[in-house]
Amino acid sequence: MAKINKIFSNILRLLAVAATVVAIVFMVTSHDSAQVLNLTFTVKYSYTPAFKFFVIGEAIAGGYTVISILLSFKTLFWRLIVILDMVATVLLASSISAALAIAQVGKKGSTHAGWLPVCGQVPHFCDQVTVALLAGFAAAVIYFVILLCSLYAVL
Amino acid sequence: MGLQNEEKLELGCSSSQQRSKKWVLLTVRVIAFLATATATLVMALNKETKTLVVAMVGSTPIKVTLTAKFQHTPAFVFFVIANGMASFHNLMMIMVELFGQKLDYKGLRLAMIAILDMTTVALISGGASAATFMAEVGKNGNSHARWNKICDKFETFCDRGGVAIIASSAGLILMLIITAMSIFKLLNKPKSVSS
Repeated sequence: MAKINKIFSNILRLLAVAATVVAIVFMVTSHDSAQVLNLTFTVKYSYTPAFKFFVIGEAIAGGYTVISILLSFKTLFWRLIVILDMVATVLLASSISAALAIAQVGKKGSTHAGWLPVCGQVPHFCDQVTVALLAGFAAAVIYFVILLCSLYAVL
Repeated sequence: MGLQNEEKLELGCSSSQQRSKKWVLLTVRVIAFLATATATLVMALNKETKTLVVAMVGSTPIKVTLTAKFQHTPAFVFFVIANGMASFHNLMMIMVELFGQKLDYKGLRLAMIAILDMTTVALISGGASAATFMAEVGKNGNSHARWNKICDKFETFCDRGGVAIIASSAGLILMLIITAMSIFKLLNKPKSVSS
């Protein structure tokens, strides 16, 4: 039973690494420019602190997952892995949440604050950011299942 | 017979430790409940109205009344809902701890408490970070997207929002401590001697 749990947990960790890598790649390579009234309007992920935080959060979680896959072949660190899994889950949840909040304002705008939506002028940027956010959300959900598996394995 | 005596001795030695741990956990839960409830209330009652002069027609100024409410921003709505649910969770856990010692479901009581604590931590962290970044955009604006800052006009709104976010962050740290304690309680529970 413990062995099945370990194999299942490692498969989930590989999926989580893949999801975080997809999220980071799509977010970092998203840039677009548009011509509005003779002014060039460029958009990059680094113009928004929320997206920078998203990339950093996913990178830390992805790096930790790779280390934990390598560590899981020695069974000394089980309790430490449970605690670090919880930290990684919280980090992933908060980075996807922050990026989603800003992306929602970018897509719909905010009439009360006088902020115009940005997605109409730079659709390519918005599409790539959408893919990155979906991958980030999948990584967060997978990580929650990994956390439950780790907790079950230590019991 | 000998096994039962050993088990009773073991439980008797650590029961005072368990009782003091129980009160520590309960106190931290009460503080976390107060923190998240404060965050919920301060953000939910966050509203500011301001009258601005937009233009002058001759000698009569045209005034516009603008309101800043928390409902205008989905991130703040999520913040209020997440902190409300976290306060409710903490309240339920305090009630169960004080009045429902006998409640159990197939021996999974401690496991369910630990899992619910973990979901609440993830929820609070999501709400706090979304609200933080929305507040940052409101305070500094975003020159690339041509979004103007709003905190210079609505200072009270921004201050109260900041207080709510700080309270929620304190609640998040306390909930992390509570979750760690719940997991340790789960790992160290005395294993029942069967048959």
